Amino acid sequence: MVRPITMPKLGQSEEVGTLVRWRKKVGDTVAKGDILFEIETDKALLEVESFFEGTLLKTVVQEGATVPINTTVGFVGDRGEVIPEVAAPSPEFRKPAPLAASTQGPRPATPPPARGMIEARVERPAALLGAVREPPLRPTPSVMAAPEVFRISPRAAKLARESAVNPVPIVGTGPSGRIVERDVKNYLESKEYYQLRITPAAKRLAARENIDVLSLDGGTGRITVARIGRAISEKPQPMSRMRQTIASRLTESFTTTPHFFVTVAVDMTGLVNFRSELKAHGASYTVTDFILKAVALSLVEFPIVNSTTDGKSVRWHSKVHLGLAVNLDQGLVVPVIRDAEELSLAELHDAATELIAKARAGKLTPDEMGGSTFTISNMGMLDIENFTAIINPGESAILAVSSTVKQPVVRDDQIVVRDIMKMTLSSDHRIIDGATAARFTNAINQKLEEISLWKRLA
Amino acid sequence: METFGVVVVGAGPGGYPAAIRAAQLGASVALVEREFLGGTCLNYGCIPSKALIHTSDLYAQMRSSGSLGLKTESASFDYAAMAERKDQVVRNLRNGVKQLLAANGVKVFEGTASFESRKRIVVSSKSGSTVIGAEKTIIATGATSSMPAFLPRHERVVESRAFLDLKSAPNRALVLGGGVIGCEFACMLAQLGVQVTIVEILEDIVAFLDADVRRELRRQMEKALAIRILTGTSLENITADEHTVRGTAGGEALEADLLLAALGRKPVTAELQLENAGLKTSQHGFIEVDEYGATQVSTIYAIGDVTGDPQLAHAATSQGLVAAENACTRHRRKNEKLIPYCIFTSPEVGAVGLTEQDAAKQGREVRTGKFNFGALGKSLAIGHPSGFVKWIADAKTEQLLGAQAIGVQATDLIAEATTAIRAELTATELAQTIHCHPTLAEAWMEAADVLLGEPIHTIAKRARG
Repeated sequence: MVRPITMPKLGQSEEVGTLVRWRKKVGDTVAKGDILFEIETDKALLEVESFFEGTLLKTVVQEGATVPINTTVGFVGDRGEVIPEVAAPSPEFRKPAPLAASTQGPRPATPPPARGMIEARVERPAALLGAVREPPLRPTPSVMAAPEVFRISPRAAKLARESAVNPVPIVGTGPSGRIVERDVKNYLESKEYYQLRITPAAKRLAARENIDVLSLDGGTGRITVARIGRAISEKPQPMSRMRQTIASRLTESFTTTPHFFVTVAVDMTGLVNFRSELKAHGASYTVTDFILKAVALSLVEFPIVNSTTDGKSVRWHSKVHLGLAVNLDQGLVVPVIRDAEELSLAELHDAATELIAKARAGKLTPDEMGGSTFTISNMGMLDIENFTAIINPGESAILAVSSTVKQPVVRDDQIVVRDIMKMTLSSDHRIIDGATAARFTNAINQKLEEISLWKRLA
Repeated sequence: METFGVVVVGAGPGGYPAAIRAAQLGASVALVEREFLGGTCLNYGCIPSKALIHTSDLYAQMRSSGSLGLKTESASFDYAAMAERKDQVVRNLRNGVKQLLAANGVKVFEGTASFESRKRIVVSSKSGSTVIGAEKTIIATGATSSMPAFLPRHERVVESRAFLDLKSAPNRALVLGGGVIGCEFACMLAQLGVQVTIVEILEDIVAFLDADVRRELRRQMEKALAIRILTGTSLENITADEHTVRGTAGGEALEADLLLAALGRKPVTAELQLENAGLKTSQHGFIEVDEYGATQVSTIYAIGDVTGDPQLAHAATSQGLVAAENACTRHRRKNEKLIPYCIFTSPEVGAVGLTEQDAAKQGREVRTGKFNFGALGKSLAIGHPSGFVKWIADAKTEQLLGAQAIGVQATDLIAEATTAIRAELTATELAQTIHCHPTLAEAWMEAADVLLGEPIHTIAKRARG
């Protein structure tokens, strides 16, 4: 029997999903548990398995399309079965793309489309961004159907296209400002187009790739394929939804939260030795495990750091949910260790190990990536002396942990070599005073330096 | 000590044009040559070999021209006379180079150059040695035939230069190495009726060529010229005595009157004393240069065979002009990257740019268009109906990226393709260019039509299917 496959709901806040890639082709045999396609949410890239077996009969949603959850994306059934008629999810009425002039110099920055617009649309993100940022040389039918924006005669459009020139800035002299062939010719003349020395292959490539040869900068020499190739690689590329989400959240946090920073240098010598000792006895902990525990303990001592504010009220979180930043090729993900204040060092270690592995494998679910009350970002493995982090929205502090390095320090008026690790707390200054931030950070510091504590806990 | 703006070491097809261009740009120029003006190309390479090949080719044509209505059964050749004409051509050209250098005010030093320091060069000859100063130096010392130690040192075992000095042709020849030089001489000898066997250690002759072209070349060399080609095997147990050269290839005993060793060429740097200038050669003995022709020492340039592949006279000339301009002006120019190949085998081969195999290796999507001379009026009229031309173009933009030609005059025909590719023309541009009729060059236009799927003088695959 033919069964529809739908866009799954992956988290409480997810209303749409982007189908990034079909892993099965139409006609492929599908076993239960086979990966059918990959989807991208605001937070991650995920694989979707089949609940059915049979043959992939049809795909309704194309790669790159973003559709609401529960939308039918394809059908699995027995070979030869009749597929019910389904209209492809239709795009919302689309406003004509803003048509930015782009004749000289860098293009004016076009504001990104409102989020709601992106999510409601069903089309390839590349095409979407292409339309918004790079007015196509050949106006699309939908643009031509919007008379207040762009009118051009077919002959004029053809001339512009074949000349590899963006027709949008051309002033039309036809009825209702329609651009006619003469306008394109005059425009080319006025822009000294005919003085350009462009090779035939370069012109052809530029026309194909929507590169406006009038907008090329640098040099008066021959415009070659190599020059157009450079312009192609310089074209703005759409960011993944994950990257867009990261961008908007970081911007929101950094521009709306007054960040305040304190840095302490932790003497890790004792803990480094203790960790080696533990390892020799078969218990292997990472430096991160100790930091997680020290932070969880300190957050219980300092409730204000485990609180958030909207500027009018302060809300304390009775539970400590620790976010742990994990760097992946496609961006940062922050899996969350829930109820961290209740977990032992060993339990924290297990939880962190599991979440990091899932993060690297791209298997985190959206629910495993939300709801943290405090975040730790450890860049110790990246040879960093010190750095500051941006507070995750919905939290009021983040701890940036740097590399442990051997340094000369003064102890009892003697210069000695110790393992020093710097950590910097970024805190929301609206609710966390400087002194509180200092005391909280030093509370973590003291715990990390107090070996008797770890001897009890490990 | 006399000091020059530019000193060029080596007067081959790279060195003497470099000297002339530097002089044109206003520099005081010295050119050091230890042997003959014109270098390998003019004296014991391109020119003399083409002089001999022209005669052998004409002779072969005469022998097979019964179908053209000629009666030439009694045609014969005099190898000594052929060699004398070749020497005359060489003398004329050498004299021409001498006059050109003099007219441009280039001072020629006879002798062997070696660096004393970065800016001092010693020229030594039988008559003594002179030190000259050099603001800039262009090294153009070229390359010489490899004669590996396993080859017996005997008058019946020759490399290309000694081969060109022969005053008579052998009856049977063994050619060791199926590269460009080996194949050219093998064809020439076979055209004169010599029994030729080529032994090549690689899997095919002229391995860098497009596979289509190689197949056609080998087919014609084996079929029309009756050359025996043994590939994927080495020649072992080589001995030479007063009458015969012997060897074994894959267990088979081979013998001939002459063994021509065409095993590649090695750079000439031994006497330069590069270390005194602060220069070193690469692992394979070449002088490494950047894309402007400069060595690691900014005042010293190197061009041509001494810098490595492609070991072609015309590449050396282009590099020489670039180096001279870069040495004498503030405007820097890069070496040309598009270098055409010409092979004077029978049939001739011309090639430039990308081959289908290159495209596949680069994962690049291409379209090809091939046109056989058999379908061209001129080819049939002149009695040369075999071979073809072929275009390789980008699948999306139709940009012409490579071309191959095999057949009569292929080495001249490749010039049009080279110009088209360098100018970044598309297949459409080429197809729309009017070509004279009836000419062999029409094949390029027809092949472009084939590539575009709309040929006139051949049946499109589409239409047939």
